[in-house]
This record gives sequence, structure tokens and C-alpha cells, in this order.
Amino acid sequence: MSALTSRILGTGIVTPHGTSLAFGKEAPPVSEITNPETGRKHLIATVPAACSAHLGREPRLRRASTISLLAATAAQAAILQSGITPGSRTALVLGVSNGCAQYTRRFYEQIVKTGANTASPLLFPETVHNAPASHLAAMLKLDGATYTLIGDATVGLQALHFANQLLTMGDADHVIVAAAEELDWILAEGHHLWRLTSSTGTCRPYAGGGTLLAEGAAAAVLALEGGSAKLTTVPGQTIPSRRHATAALRATISQLGDVQPDHIVDGANGTWLDTAYAQCGPSDRRVSPKANIGDAIGASALQQVVFATALAGRTLVPALGWNQQAAAALVESSAEN
Amino acid sequence: MGTVSPLGIGCREASRALRESGDCVAPVTMFDVSKCRSKTAGHAPSLPADDERLHPASRMMIAAALEARAGDAGFVPECAVIGTTSGGMSDGERYFRTQSTRQRGQGALIANYPAQRPVLDALRALGSTAPAQIIANACASGSNAIGHAFRLIRAGIHDRVLAGGYDALCELVYVGFDSLQAATTDKVRPFDRGRSGLVLGEGAALLTLEERTSAQRRGAPILAEVTGYGISTDNHHLTQPHPSGIGPELAMTRALADARRGPGEIDYINAHGTATAFNDSSEGVAIGKVFGARVPVSSTKGMMGHSLGAAGAIEAVFCVLAMNERFLPPNINYREADPAFDLNIVANTAREAELRAVLSNSFGFGGTNASIILEVAR
Repeated sequence: MSALTSRILGTGIVTPHGTSLAFGKEAPPVSEITNPETGRKHLIATVPAACSAHLGREPRLRRASTISLLAATAAQAAILQSGITPGSRTALVLGVSNGCAQYTRRFYEQIVKTGANTASPLLFPETVHNAPASHLAAMLKLDGATYTLIGDATVGLQALHFANQLLTMGDADHVIVAAAEELDWILAEGHHLWRLTSSTGTCRPYAGGGTLLAEGAAAAVLALEGGSAKLTTVPGQTIPSRRHATAALRATISQLGDVQPDHIVDGANGTWLDTAYAQCGPSDRRVSPKANIGDAIGASALQQVVFATALAGRTLVPALGWNQQAAAALVESSAEN
Repeated sequence: MGTVSPLGIGCREASRALRESGDCVAPVTMFDVSKCRSKTAGHAPSLPADDERLHPASRMMIAAALEARAGDAGFVPECAVIGTTSGGMSDGERYFRTQSTRQRGQGALIANYPAQRPVLDALRALGSTAPAQIIANACASGSNAIGHAFRLIRAGIHDRVLAGGYDALCELVYVGFDSLQAATTDKVRPFDRGRSGLVLGEGAALLTLEERTSAQRRGAPILAEVTGYGISTDNHHLTQPHPSGIGPELAMTRALADARRGPGEIDYINAHGTATAFNDSSEGVAIGKVFGARVPVSSTKGMMGHSLGAAGAIEAVFCVLAMNERFLPPNINYREADPAFDLNIVANTAREAELRAVLSNSFGFGGTNASIILEVAR
């Protein structure tokens, strides 16, 4: 069994523009982040703090990292739109890429600069990859299946496929799927060193020049019935090396069958990945949202799906990671949302 | 199946150490622990690699994968479900320490840091491009991976899944547990009245799971069957289980229901048993509630430390070895029963036993709890 299907009951998104898709073709607001030791500066797109300000009273989120707040904000919006009441048959699947980077860097910085005996026990638990999922489960009072998946930029689609597996196996009636990414100077510098980021603070899909790292999150509530959009996911495949990316993405899309999409919402980001994305279909059907919201790596594939649910018709969502996987999904929306 | 752990390279070495109650915890030398309370850990033997840049986690995963393939060369995975917590964190640490100066090799550190890297390296060693789902449910990850893989096969979604877990020692996580005062300065004494905490370990384990008729059709050796999986989430606290043991209790009862087994049909429990005050108390109470004091219980973490995301997978391998070689793995460093719970601890030495069905527990930060049930092959 390759492709699995479900229905999308609700979605939520958080981008540098805020919590709606009503930003048209605007580029994301860009800010500077600095390595305090070297003074090296990097351009990134962060999410306005106001987006998650309402979560400040949640007991488990008071000390939580940005990634937890972003995930919770997107998930709340998706749950609200879905109309479900999370309960014992509700599962949670959260996708992350770099995880709780801010607390991880701060904790290790304490170890290096002031000694292991001064490292804060308040920070360490928040460095664990499943801390955001744990906070979200506590907020929603879930006592069943809670999973955190880790991966590259495809992890949002992997989380959706994992959720479809849970639904198909009868392990849950509803699955809340979320994905989120927070930024820190160490990530910005690492990706710069990896020669993936743009020096101009822009992301120009198919034009090269590198990507613009961004914070962000997305969420969807899935079930086997209901909703106005059908979601089909496939397992995808791992990529042995960069030169296999195009073939891997093509093979992954073929797992969906003869798709004939009306739209393609891709993950093109101005890096070498774009060569593979260019083979997904004609350019006049392609939408590349990273130009407008930046590249929130771990959140990006699920953000693409949220964009796809807003389009009428059949929308192909391909995703490629820098070092792991090719993934794809098909969103069939009955009406413009 | 294949494994690398402080108990040795491969299943044979692990089995010998389990039978001999080997205490494989040793002083930490790979990073500075002079400012930590705890000074020891379970170290996996170092493994050679053609590519010196390969992270220790990748080396362990490749070794486990090649051992699993040697046991069943015809196994071709349709997907991989793997658990981990910290991935290649030590490369991230080296990057942090060198980031203020541009040095050769920094790019490789960044490329090898992501948690998916060792999984990719293992798949590549097998010549596979199967998709990988990497579960990061803290210390329950390895059992979650096996449990989810089992369910995929039972539901007919996949016929063959490579499942397991890995984690390599690193300074950040070591200091993290030390900062929480969860790490001990003593020996690891799971379920002992005088227990004072855990020590960290490392390792990797992979199991080739296959739908039974598919395995029989191609004449594959069937070592054991996975028959049940239970998962629960305990929202009490980010790092502490609810003292009532409700999280572990739910995971175990759900696994039993999934396997259609009663508590009386379980012959051995490989406990999570980290030797922290909170875990062992919560787990001990929960085991007592579900099983009473009949079933033999041991934690193998006294011998090798807590290997986090690898623990559930390594302990699943230990359970299969125990069933097939007919022994109960020991709970070493045990001196005195804790009056807070009444358990049949397999104290200090391995015992001969006929085991038909066993349960393995793994619990983690964030309140994630997983139990799996393994049975002898029919």
C-alpha cells in the first residue's frame, strides 16, 4: 500500500507576515541577527511576537521556546477551523527540523563559557525535540498517541503521511499535525556556511542566489471523513546524494499516480533544489510560497499544504530536503477557501 | 537484528554480557566532566570507518544494519522507522566551539549534525533508498519506532520495515541530565531503595520486521514476533512522570490489549528502570498495579547506562535474545528492595527461564510512554 488518503478539516499557518494568507505577493519582512562573538550578521525573517502573545497564560508555555509557541499558535487555529474537540482518540504528530535551536544554543553556551556546573536545568528540558509536542499535548489534554518526527524540509509532509498511517490503522479518529521552525544566529550562520542562504535577504525561487531562512509554523487537522479538501500522501524515498534529487522527486510524485495537477505549490527556494522542482510541471502552474514567507525549513512543507488547501482543484505539493528525503502530497479542494 | 552498545558489538557479545552481569559503565573521557557531579557513562566500543568524518552514531547504525543484513540477506526494507533523541549532537557541539574561527571541516560538521544523517548512512550501507520516518519522542523513541513499524505491518501498509533506534554520547545531553541532578555519582541501581540516578549510555539497534507469511514465503529466519504496542502521554510535567504511574500503566495496559494478552501471560518485563527516584517509583507502582508481584522484572540499564533514543530498540534485541536463549537478564547493582513497590526483581545475576511473551517499557521526557510485547516465534 503506497498512497494513503484523509480529509483536511482545518488548517493554521504562522509566517513572518502573521497568521493569515492575506499578504499577496509581498516579500517577508527581514531583520538582522548577529553572532555576538564575531559580529557576523545574517538576514532572516522572524515571526512577530504578537502572533503568539495570547498563549502567554498557558501554564506549560510560560518558559517554552519560540518553536513551541509557533506550533501551538498554528495548531490552535487549525483546531478552531476544524470544529473538533480534541479527546482520547485524538493523536498529535509534530514535525521539526532544527528543533529548539535557541535553548539548545543557550544551554551549550553556558557549558562552554561558564562551566557545566552553571548550566541551567530550566533550559535543558526545552532543548529536547519533543518538548513542543509535549507542551501542546498538555495544553490540549491529550493522553494518547503523541509523536515528534525529525527530518529535513520534507518533515511536514512526512508528518502528514505518518498521520494518515495512524488514521488508516484506526489508531485515532483525528490527528493534529503541526510543524514549526524557530531561528537562532547559529542556524543562520550554519546555513550560510553550508552555502544555502542568500546574502540579500530575499528568496528568489528558480533565480538562484540562495534562500532566506524564516521562522514559521503550520498545522492541519486530519480525519477520514469530512472537510472540503482531500489529502493524499505517499512514503517518498531517501536521496543517496544531491545528484539523485531530481529522479527521487520524480519517483516520489509517481507514487501518487497520474496526478495532472491544476497547481503545483513547491518548495523552490533559490538553491540547488530548484533544478528538481523545475521538473515537477509547467512553470505557469507553479506557486513557490518561499518567495513570500521565507524558508521555515521544518515547517515549510506543511506551509505549502496550507497554501494548497486555499486553491480550488488538484494541487501537487512536492518537497525536497537538503540531505534526506523526497516527499509529495496531493490536495484536492472542492472550492476556493 | 543487529546492535552495538556498551555491552559489545553484535548480538553475541551482548548476550554474553547479559548472562555474565557485565557492568560496562566506565569513566567519561571524551569530554570534560570535571564540573559535573556524575563522571561515568556506558561507552560503545569505537568502530572503524572508511570515512573518518562519519559520526559515531552513523558508525553504530551502519554496524547494526550490516549485522541485521548478515542475519537475513534477503530482507529489503520498504521503509525505515527509527528513534533517536540527539542525533549527531556532538558534531553540533564541535561546530559551536569552532564557529568563531573559520576552520576546515566545519561544513562537514553541519552536514553530519542533523538527526537523519545516521539513518541515511545506514540505509546507504544497505543500498536502500527506502523512506525514513525518524521519531524523536525522547527516551521512548526506540520503542515507539518498533511499535509503529509493527502496526504498519499488521495494517498491511507495509510488509517489511527496518525499525530501531540510535543515540551517541554527547556533552550537551550529559550535562543536561547532570544539571537536573538525574545523574548519579554512584553505580546505577534500578529499583533499589538506595538508587540515586542514571548514567547515560549510547548505542544502536535495528530489527528487520516483516509480515509473517511474507517472511515464511522467502524462508527468512523468524527470531520472534511483535504482538502488541501501547503508547500514552502523561501531561504531569515536562521531565517528571505522574507519581501515580498512570502514564506507564496506560501504555502497558494498551500494549496488553493490543496483543490480546492478559497480565498473567507475560513472563518477563524489561523495565525502563533508569534508576532515578521518579521513574522507578512511577514505573514500579504501575507494574505492581497491572501485573502484581509475580512477573520477573529487570532493567538492563545498570549494565550499560541509558542510551536514550536507542534504549527501546536495544532492549527489544535483549528481549529477543532472552527468549531465544532462555534466560532472564539481570538487574545488577541491586541491594535492597524499595518498600514503595513490590516487584519480582531479577537481582544481580541472570536466571534460566522459559519465556514465551515479554514486555519492554520505554518512557521519556515530555511524558511519552511506550510499551511493546514480543513473543517467541510460532
